[in-house]
This record gives sequence, C-alpha cells and structure tokens, in this order.
Amino acid sequence: MSMKRLLYAVFMPALLLISLSALAQDRVVTGKVTDSKDGTPVVGASVQPKGSKTGTSTGADGSFRLSIPASIKTIVISSAEFERQEVDVADKSTIDVSLKASSAGLSEVVVIGYGTARKKDLTGSVASVQAKDFNKGTYTSPDQLIQGKAAGVLVINNTGQPGGSTTIRIRGSSSIRSSNQPLFVLDGVPLSGGSARPGGFGNSSANDGGNPLNYMNPNDIASIEILKDASATAIYGSRGANGVILINTKRGKSGAPTLDVSASTGLSNVAKKLEVLDANGYRAALKEYGITSGDFGGNVDAFDAISRTGLTQNYNVAVGGGTENGRYRLSVGYLDQQGVIKTSELKKISANLNTSFKFLESKKLGLDMNVLVTQTDEQLAPISAFVGFEGNLISQALQWNPTHALTKPGTDSAWIDPAVGNTTINPIAQLNYYDDRAKVNTIVASIAPSYKITKDLEFKLLYSVNRSVGVRKVQINRLLNEQGVEGRGLAGIGNNQETNTQLTNTLSYNKQITSAININAVVGYEWLTFDDKGSFLTGKDFQNLGLNYYDILGYSTSADRNLGSFASPTSELQSYFGRAIVNYKDKYLLTATFRADGSTKFGKNNRYGYFPSVGIAWNATKEDFLAGNGFINNLKVRLGWGKTGNQEFPAGASKDRYGIGQQSLTRLNFQNPDLKWESSATTNAGIDFSILHDRLSGSIDYFYKKTTDILFETTFAEPGPPSGTIWKNLDGYVLNKGVEITLYGNVMNKKDMSWNIGTNISFLKNIVQGLPGFYETGQLRGQGFSNVRGQRVISGQPINVWYLRQWEGIDKTTGKDILTDGGSTLFYVGSPNPKTLLGISTDFTYKKFVATVSMNGTFGHYLYNNTAATVVGIGNLGTRNIAKGLLDGEVQESRANAPAPSTRNLEKGNYIKMANASIGYRVGNIGKSIKNLYVALTGQNLFVITKYTGFDPEVNTDGGFNGIPSLGVEYIPYPSARTFQLGVNFSL
Amino acid sequence: MKYFKIFVSLFLVLFLFSCTKLDEKFRSQIETNNTSNIKAADLLVSVYNTIGGSFQGNGNIWSTTTITTDEAIAPTRGPDWYDNGLWQALHAHTWNADHEFVNNGFLEMLRTQFAASNVLQFNPSAQEAAEARFLRALSMYWVLDGYDQVPYRENLTDYKLDPKTLKGTEAADFIISEINAVLATLPDTGPAYTANKNAAKALLMKVYLNYGVYANRATPTFAPADMNKVIALADEIINSNKYSLNDNFFDIFAPDNDVKSTESIFSFFNSASANRGGNVRGFAFMVSHYNMNPSGWNGFSTLSDFYDKFQPTDKRLGGYYNYPAALPNPGHRTNVGFLIGQQYNLTTDAPLLARNPATAPLSFTKEVKINEPDPNTLEFTGIRVIKYPFDYATAGDQKNNDYVMFRLADVLLMKAEAILRGGTGTAAGSYGNNAKDIVNSIRAKRGATDLAAVDLAALLDERGREMYWECWRRQDLIRYGKFLQAWQEKDADAGTKNLLFPIPSNQLAVNPNLTQNPGYN
Repeated sequence: MSMKRLLYAVFMPALLLISLSALAQDRVVTGKVTDSKDGTPVVGASVQPKGSKTGTSTGADGSFRLSIPASIKTIVISSAEFERQEVDVADKSTIDVSLKASSAGLSEVVVIGYGTARKKDLTGSVASVQAKDFNKGTYTSPDQLIQGKAAGVLVINNTGQPGGSTTIRIRGSSSIRSSNQPLFVLDGVPLSGGSARPGGFGNSSANDGGNPLNYMNPNDIASIEILKDASATAIYGSRGANGVILINTKRGKSGAPTLDVSASTGLSNVAKKLEVLDANGYRAALKEYGITSGDFGGNVDAFDAISRTGLTQNYNVAVGGGTENGRYRLSVGYLDQQGVIKTSELKKISANLNTSFKFLESKKLGLDMNVLVTQTDEQLAPISAFVGFEGNLISQALQWNPTHALTKPGTDSAWIDPAVGNTTINPIAQLNYYDDRAKVNTIVASIAPSYKITKDLEFKLLYSVNRSVGVRKVQINRLLNEQGVEGRGLAGIGNNQETNTQLTNTLSYNKQITSAININAVVGYEWLTFDDKGSFLTGKDFQNLGLNYYDILGYSTSADRNLGSFASPTSELQSYFGRAIVNYKDKYLLTATFRADGSTKFGKNNRYGYFPSVGIAWNATKEDFLAGNGFINNLKVRLGWGKTGNQEFPAGASKDRYGIGQQSLTRLNFQNPDLKWESSATTNAGIDFSILHDRLSGSIDYFYKKTTDILFETTFAEPGPPSGTIWKNLDGYVLNKGVEITLYGNVMNKKDMSWNIGTNISFLKNIVQGLPGFYETGQLRGQGFSNVRGQRVISGQPINVWYLRQWEGIDKTTGKDILTDGGSTLFYVGSPNPKTLLGISTDFTYKKFVATVSMNGTFGHYLYNNTAATVVGIGNLGTRNIAKGLLDGEVQESRANAPAPSTRNLEKGNYIKMANASIGYRVGNIGKSIKNLYVALTGQNLFVITKYTGFDPEVNTDGGFNGIPSLGVEYIPYPSARTFQLGVNFSL
Repeated sequence: MKYFKIFVSLFLVLFLFSCTKLDEKFRSQIETNNTSNIKAADLLVSVYNTIGGSFQGNGNIWSTTTITTDEAIAPTRGPDWYDNGLWQALHAHTWNADHEFVNNGFLEMLRTQFAASNVLQFNPSAQEAAEARFLRALSMYWVLDGYDQVPYRENLTDYKLDPKTLKGTEAADFIISEINAVLATLPDTGPAYTANKNAAKALLMKVYLNYGVYANRATPTFAPADMNKVIALADEIINSNKYSLNDNFFDIFAPDNDVKSTESIFSFFNSASANRGGNVRGFAFMVSHYNMNPSGWNGFSTLSDFYDKFQPTDKRLGGYYNYPAALPNPGHRTNVGFLIGQQYNLTTDAPLLARNPATAPLSFTKEVKINEPDPNTLEFTGIRVIKYPFDYATAGDQKNNDYVMFRLADVLLMKAEAILRGGTGTAAGSYGNNAKDIVNSIRAKRGATDLAAVDLAALLDERGREMYWECWRRQDLIRYGKFLQAWQEKDADAGTKNLLFPIPSNQLAVNPNLTQNPGYN
C-alpha cells in the first residue's frame, strides 16, 4: 500500500468519528469518580450497567452521565489500576464514587506482545511502568523514562548531548559482538533499532549516532512494559534474547472530547565541570616547573566560553474522546531543547493520531489505525570521541591555556594565534567555524482490522510502515586551523533513508472453558522487511562568499570531492508463533509459547530458528490454607524456562561478497552458510507477594541466562579477504545470572497524606567461557595513546574486562610512572559491568501538594577516565592547560613522563544519582473551563554521589574496536546537564 | 461448525500470506556466483592497492623493517608516542606475538596473497594473471622474510580448510618457481608501477641473495650458484638499458618521480586525483614538528651513529632540493634528507620556534633517547628524515609521489654484494665488474668520494646510506649478521629468536598448520 493511500485511509475515519451517535436509554445517573488516595478525578473510568457491555466513561473531571434502563439496579465502575466497584443505584440519580487502587495492580491488564494478559495470569518476569511512575522532567526518548524504574534494567545516557544515545542492558550483556540493546515494540510495531540520521563529515563531527527512538514523544506514552525472561520474550523469538521493551501510547477514552495541555520551560547548566587550572594557578604551575614561556598574561575560562544556560521548551496538546464504538486521540508536541554546550540544539515536532473503531451491527469488525509523524532537527556540537591529537571542542576547551585570550584583542572573533601552537585549536573557533545539522523525518503508520469470528475467536491483521528520511549537512570554515581544513574549508551532505514494513496476522482465542479453566491463546504469522539506503557528497576548497559551503558544493575542487552511495541487502524476517495461557481456578497457571523465525540473514543451512518457552505459576493465596489470611494478601510463585535468540549481525554475512571501490572490486569476506542466530536459554524463578493489607508488595526473581552459539566476527586462518574475520557462531558461552528484588511500600495512607516508596535492586554476574583466544576492544584515545585497547573479551573473565598496566605511583627521582613489572606485564584489573543496579522512587502527597523523587545508581564496576589520562596531563604544561589535581601530589611528576594506559586512570564507577525530583501543586479546576490545573517544579540530574573524578559516572563513550562494543570509557564527552523546569498541565 | 471456523481461520492466518522465500539480494555489492559481473581487471587494482598501502605509513611493514634497526627510533616525547609501548618494543627488540605492527605486516601481505589468488578465479587475461601472480609472489616473499612461515591458501571459498604452510627455503623455491612461470608473460615496457619483467627479476635477486638466510638465519652461508644468479639477473636488468642512476638523488622520490626517476624498476602508483592504497605523506608527518610545514606529529628520528656514516658532501644527506611542488624556500634551507639544526619557515625563511618551551629555537639535535628525559628538549631531539619530498602543490590528502619498491641502485649494490659473497663478477653497463667499481659508480653520482676498497662491512654501510628508510635495513642487518648486536638505545639481543618475527598469536590459535617461531612460546 502506498504511503499516501495509507494516510488517507487513516485520516478519513477520524473525521467521520465525530458523527457516531450514542445509544438511546431510559433513565439518567450522573456522578463523579475519584481516587480514594487523594481525591483526584479518575479520568476514563468505565461506567456500565451491571451485566451490560455498553456504558460510558468518565471525563477529564471524573464525572459521567449514564442512561440506563429502569430495570438496572447496579452499575459497575472500573478502571485500570483501580479495584472494580459495584454501586447500587436503585434509588439514586447522583453518586460519588471513590475508587481504591487495586491490590498491587493485580487486575491490571498487561501488554505482553501480540496480545494482553491479566497481570495475575503472568508466569514470566514482566515489569510494567505506568506513565504516572515515569521519570519526571523533559526527555527526548522513551527509554529515559524508565531509567531506575525496573529491576535488572540498566539505562545509561551515553552523553549529555540533547537527543544523545543510550545504552540499555536488560539483565546484563549476553552478546559479545552483536548488539545488546533490547527489541523495542511500539504499539505492536517492532522497531529496527536503526536511525536514518546520516553520519557526519570531518574529524570532529559528533560521533554519537543519536537515540534511534527520538521520534517518539514521551508525552504520548501510557505505559512501558519490559519483558525480561525467556518465558515472556520467547514470543519474539530470534530478537528476544536481550529483552523486549513494549511501548504503549495513550489511547482516546470514550466520552466527551477532552483537551489536555501541558507546557514546560526549563533551564539547563553543565552539571559538573572538570577542574583545570585557572590563569593564576597556571602561572604558579609554570613557576613551580621553572617554565619561562607559556604565560600570555590573560585570564580566561575556556569552558565557560563554550557552555551556556540552555533553554528548554516543551508543549503538548492532545485531544481524545469518542464512544464505545469509536475512540480517537490526536496529539501534537513541540520540544526545543538547547544543549548546555553552545550551538547544540534539538527541536522536535511530533504528531500522533491513534484511533480505534468497531463496525457492523454486531460490532464484530474492529479497526485500529495509528499514525505518528515526527521531525527532529538537530544542531550538533563538534564533540567526537574519534578525534586525533587535535581533539574535540571539549578537549580544546579543557586544554586552552587560561592565560591566553580567546578572542583577538579589540574584536569578538576567535584568536588563532600561532604563538599558542599552530596545531592548538581555539575552542571558540571550533564552535564558530563548525556547522553540523541533522534533520530526520519519521512516519510510523499502521492499520489493524480485526474481526470476531465467534465470541471467543478473533482475527487481527496489522500492517505497518516505518519510514525515516535523514539529511545531514556539515561545513567547516576554512578559517579553522585544523590540519586539512585550514585555508581550504570542508563541506558534506549525507542522505539516508530507512523503510521497514510489517505484516502480522493473529488469531486469538480467549475462553472460559469450564468454571475452573480459562484459556487465552494466540497464533500468528509475521513478515517484516528492512531497507536502508544512503548517499553522501563531500568537497573541499571553498571561499567565504557569505554562503553556506554545503549549499555550494560545486565550488569545491574536483580532486577532493568524494561521494558514495549504498543500499543494504534485502533483509526479511518471516515468522510463525503461538502462545497459550491456561488458568486453572486462578491457582495454577501455565504459559507456553513457541516461535519459528526465518531470516534472509541466516545461512542457507540454517534458515529457520525455533524458540520455545514454558512458564508455570502457583497462586498460593488461592489455596485453602492461606485463604482468609490477614497477613499475606498475595503470594505467587513463578518458574519459567525458554530459549530466545539474537540476530543482530549485518545482512550479507552468510555469503561471499565483492565490495565496490574506486574503479576496483575487492573480495570482502568468507561466506558462512551455517551462520545463524545466537541462542539464550534462560531459567527464571520468582515470587510475587503482597502483605500487610497490600501495604508492602514486591517481587524477587532469580535468573540464569546462558547464551550459546555466540555471534562473533572471529579471526580466520589467513590468507583471506581484508575483513580478517568471519561471522560465526562460537562454541563458547556467556553466562549472566542474578537476583532482582522489587519492593513497593505504602508507608503512609491517610486522608490528606500518603507516602509510597518503590525500590528495585539487582545483583548481576557475567562471565565468558570457552572462547578461543582473546579479542580486544575498549579503545582508549588521545596523545600517546594510538593503537591502545584497554579491554578484552576472554574466557574466564567478565565481558570487556579491563586489561591494563598496574600503576604504583610516580618515581620520586625521575618523576615518571612506576609500573608493576616495569610496564611490560598487563593485568586483568576489573570489570566495567556493574554488579549492582539500584533504583529508588518515592512519592509523597499532602493535600494538594505532590512530591516525587527518583534516584538510581550502579555499583561494583570500573570506568576508565580517558579524559584525565590524555587530555589534561602534566605534559601540557607550558602550552596547554592541565588538571588541577596534578600539582597536589607529594611527588612532582615530570613533564617528560610518558603516560601509559594503566590503572592510574581506572576508577570505581559507583554512583547514586538524584535523577529527578519534582514538587507540584494541584490547583484543581479554575472556573468552568479549566480543569485539573497542575503546576510542578522539576529538577533533573540534581546531584551525584560518587568518587569518580570525571564529568559523570553515567557515561559510555564509544570505544568499540573491530565491531566489538566497549563499556565504561569516558573520553571528552558532551557533559551532562542539570535542569530545572517549571511545568503546567490542565484539561479543557 | 465452531471447530471448522477455528480450523479455517488458522489456515488463513498461517498460510495465506506466507509466501516469502527469504532470498537475500545484494544491491551495493556483488555475490560471488555472479561471475559475469566480476572483472579480473577491477580485482587486480585492489591487489596493487592492498600491497602498496602496507609500506606507506608508520604502523606496518615500514616500522617493523625500519624502527627495528639502527637507522630509526621512535622516542617518547613527554606524553607523546608511548602508544602502549609499541614503538619502544620495536627499537628495543622486545616485541611479542601480540605486537600490533608486527602482526599487521603478516596479515596485510597474506591478504595481498588472497586478493591476488582471487584474481585468477575470474578469467584474467594472460598479463593480468601474470601481474597477479607476481604480486602474490612479492607478498609471500615479505612474509617469508619476516616470519619464515608462509601460509598459502589454495581453496578460496571454504574458510574452514586451513592454509598449508610453506617454510623457509620451501617458500623461497615456491616464490622462485612462480616468478619464473610468469616472467615471459610480464611486459617488457610500461610504467614502473605496473608489474614488469625487470621487477620480477629484481625480486628474484632478493630471493637468491637471501636464500642462505632463509636456510639458516643465525649462520647463513651463501652458495656461489645463488650469487651468480643474482649477478646474472642484475646484468639482465642493466642490459635492458631502461635505467640509469639519477643525477639528483631526490628525483627518485619526488612528487613527479613517475617521470623524473630513471632508477625506478617497480613502484606503487600514487596520484592526487585517484585514491589508491597508499600515500607517502605520512612519511613527512611522522617526523615533522608541529610548527613546520607540513605540521606533523613530531615523532621519529634517525640516530647519530647512523648519520655519522655519511661524508658531508654526500648528496644523499639532502639539503635544499628545488622541485616544482616545493615551497618558495627563499633561504634555500634543507627540505629533504636529514633535517638537523635550526629549522625555518620554508615560505618566509623565518627561523622556527619550538612549541614548548615556545621561546626555544626549533633546532634538531643529533642525540636522542628512547625515553626523552629532559622536559625542555623533548620536542627537538633527534635528526629527522624526509626521503620523499613533500608534495606541497597538491592541497588534497593524496600526494603524487609513487612509492619505490625496487630501483637500479639497489640492484647494483646487490650485484656488488653477490660478487663479494663468492659470485663471479661480470661487466654490464658502465658500472664495472667488481664490487668497488660498482659501489664507487654509485658514490660518484651521489657526491661521495671513491672508496679505496669495498668489503662486506663497507658495502653494508653503503647500503645504509643509499637505501635508508626504504624498508630494507632489517633484512640487510640480518644478512650481514648484525641485527642482534647492540646499537644506540638498544642492547644486544639475547639468543637468536628476534631474527624472525613471531607468528601472531591470534593466527596461531586458528591455524593448526602454523607453529610459533622458536623462542616466542
């Protein structure tokens, strides 16, 4: 189906929706539904005559109006997250209903992939985070909303750049070579994990690829479910091994249309600056070291000159409503986030329409249609980790001689003064002479008709298209004194496009077979296609004509033009799957799933992979011996086993291929017709409990995940093609095991005051076994650090274990490093993988005040402070700046000291961070039109408790080598921001 | 009825739309079975690119054959150039089987072998096949010379079939037979950057001259028959009358050396307008100080003992070289050869200053230490070497100088050495029929006085003066039995293991037909 037709098909019914009429009834009951906890209105609660499937739902102020036949005596009020309540209306026409939060959310319906299940029926490990529990503040992508909110889920903001990428690990890293990112599914549409944003040009073009989920508007998300163990993720087969994150957007609720508006504005600053010498300190250091040059008499702070207070504005408007037979929600969001480094900015405009209809007299035909359209517009700061000795904006600012003016005296233009070294780049020049813009347009459209064949049997088809188009434009002014650019200028334009389609058919069967047995089953077929294309042009040798270089590429000299284009190999995935959940008397539960995945990427000898899982659970509270127990309100024991896969390797790896060079062809690789998915077998045992009248509830899970057939690009026996490696499934394995504890406590629950605390803590262990040889990764960079890799993947050690020289101190006589064994032996000196993850959330309500705090932390791992190692070392003294702490030691370090990659800069990464805190006031209704006015002041990234000396212990600069990802390197990253913002929400 | 509905629906769901065969199609690459679209000529270009690149840079064969000898050192200069100890290990002869540059040389030459073998699979013309086999022999020769064991892959499809290993003289014999098989087909004429008959003969000379080394590295003996082959091949090259010694030594390496050099027998093509495998500009960057033009990485130097081997009049020491792609250089300052003493801005003739201390003159000193101890002289210790005159006329990254692999002076010196090692001197060209005359004919061109006598020691020194920083020094020192001796900033080696580089440990792990070279376990 063409895009245009699809859009038409989606929008037309939305317009028709308005004309749908309500049903005729006899008598009228009106009322208001509120939350028993704090008296806030419950919006969208279903209000139905008992025994009927029709009804209405509450509006934005919690009120409803329901017409019922005279014969009806009772109405039923229900809402997710609350206990169902029946109200006698025999002789009433007005009622006020106060709903109690449901017991640990047991009656909640949870999205579990290709369907839903009652939370009480779950046998696997599934964490569900509702919108009200999301991190507070402004976020650019949905993954940031759940940082610290679910046990076993590690979310690292890799950089402080607005819209920057994140690292997500669910239950540790199990792959060595391929991606460990989980699979994201947006309203049933599995995402490719890629982004259409093209790469940059020139040395310092930001290396962070940006977050591929940036196109979603976090404000549109109703809940995020995290499927962790195999019994939950096996339904996603060859893509389920790293966990699955299901993102569910907000839906319209039946009733009169409501308009929700939110607006916020915030100010961001650099959360932590690295301490380098100021001008006076620098002069003192020069004196201490007897250096007579290097003092230019000035006094500047270069880091201040490149950083700023960034302004963030975020506006969202959403309209939702409908009837029982047709609901819609349309939202528009605008975000403008200025980075804390000058020039950097992310602008995002998104529109999201989702609709749900029922047709025919029988209402058997259903139709869901969703469209999401987003444009992100980024201006990127020249902050790349992949730079040579010239550094990036951050290192240039850190290294700038604080005694030398940044701007030419009497002007405001950057001073490029050979006296400070002709290879020393003025950060102001870097900032002013560099222009890097990326624009990505994304559209995700889906249409899903469904038909109820019988009362219990429903057929559903889902077709979706996810298309992104990205453009990147970069120019570097010829005035910048960077080698290869100075006097020449450079510009480039890149274009990428990504188109993915999905066709899913499911047949679901949901029946109470006998009074004791309930079956919820689904079978389906799915076909996915992935397509990437791109091209780029670069040129050099421009003149400053008052025009953008990238708009006049034709001016460049022909010898230094460069161009290229690519189209990915066709990539398709075809799958069959099924799942059955059997509930016997609510006491014994069984879930069995199966998926068969066929992929074009797999070798011809292994075209299909099979992924089974089974889970059982026993609800002990339904047993007689616990029935009526006043202490234990819920006790469920779960046990699950399953196999899942990971197929994140490049298309084409199973076949011999020839690559195209300039007037040449090169054999690229060896084929491997046996290539297949990586396989993880997970056993999970868990307990869910709730005690003391549900005041304390929680879960404890133990998991044991063994990943075999590890996908790896391994060395082959030379001679061979230039890749030097072949994609293989290795004999070795990676073991991840751990314990996750989630606790939720209701500390106080009084009429005017309530206090809840949620905590999750996970203990993780990771080890590699049976891998032949070793593989290096963890590139460390900077002056004197060429060809340095600090991490290895080797049997008997955790993935990415640090492998470095042991540093013992500075020699008193020579002023040089003392290294164990003279530096000729390297040691395994710690793991970058956190052993413990912690998340704490708390909310406190007093009358109309609401306060929430979210904290997270990781413990037991080591980070390499590459910034300290190679950017602000003592050798800079005399020309460039140095770290403040360097002069504090008892021993004077020699400027001739050649820093070795050693434990000197390996630091404990333990931290606990106040990720966000918010205090709000519920103003309530103002007049007749403004409802539920809420005002909140929110702070993000308020403080960090850590001994780590770099910018932020939450960091992951890309140090991957030969495609093997690294973890735990900090190298001149975009610094993190601390943000304060004022927000207001209301409804009409 | 109900079950019928379920059955029909199931059938529809699972089979109605299930029609994909999951065939993978390539759009920017070509699959092997698509043989009609894979042209041998296109593949051959990438073979030249692969092998050429291996010599032009600082992290592969150049460093393992140059930094490991008495003609170069890569000192640490404060925070610069420690680089995980890689450079120091080369000069101090403490490398191990994981040394990245040692490994790179092995891998890049084997990849050349594979790419060359691959050309033969796609119906090459007779000359394309001969060129590919010559390049393959050349790549195998460099593996033999460095590592003794040469993995050779016959099946190019199944990576699981382990390559067989050719060792020592067995590999040398294979290389000789390969060259002889294609010699007649290689072209007589044409540019030096295309494989040709004389290039093949020069390679044969190298194999025969070192044949005794490949038989026994620690105590080589040189068979007169081999030496006579060296002499005969040299005479054939000389008598082809295609080559003569250049009047200006640096014309051999200049940006326009493809036309100016009368010595080049085999070179790797570089061009500002085409992106090839190599680029000689790195040779300038790795020695050049930050404040010089080109602004470099301020790294490598030669050693004072090596510098002292030259007579002051020797043109090979360099000086002012006037070439079309040069900077104005109004003061006629040294811009090629050995850069020593005060350096100047080659455009304005202003004397240059160092960067730190910024008040110190940028004046390169003779002495250099492997770990420079004095923070005040870090930047300017050591004499810098520019053999390839920098192509300032080309703004772009690609420079025009072709990289020279074989040239006439080398052929002459090899002939002289073969005579000294027991071969029978013959007259060819105007260079004489004995070692002394041959050497002196070169020295005369280079502005050095005649030597009264030429023995092996003198010949080794002459090779050093002529061939410095051209990737031959390690091989020469081994052949002359001097590689394990002490020299500046290096102790004598214990044992003989360093005469061979180790087999990369990651290759040892995956190829059962390789064994680690003695002493590296």
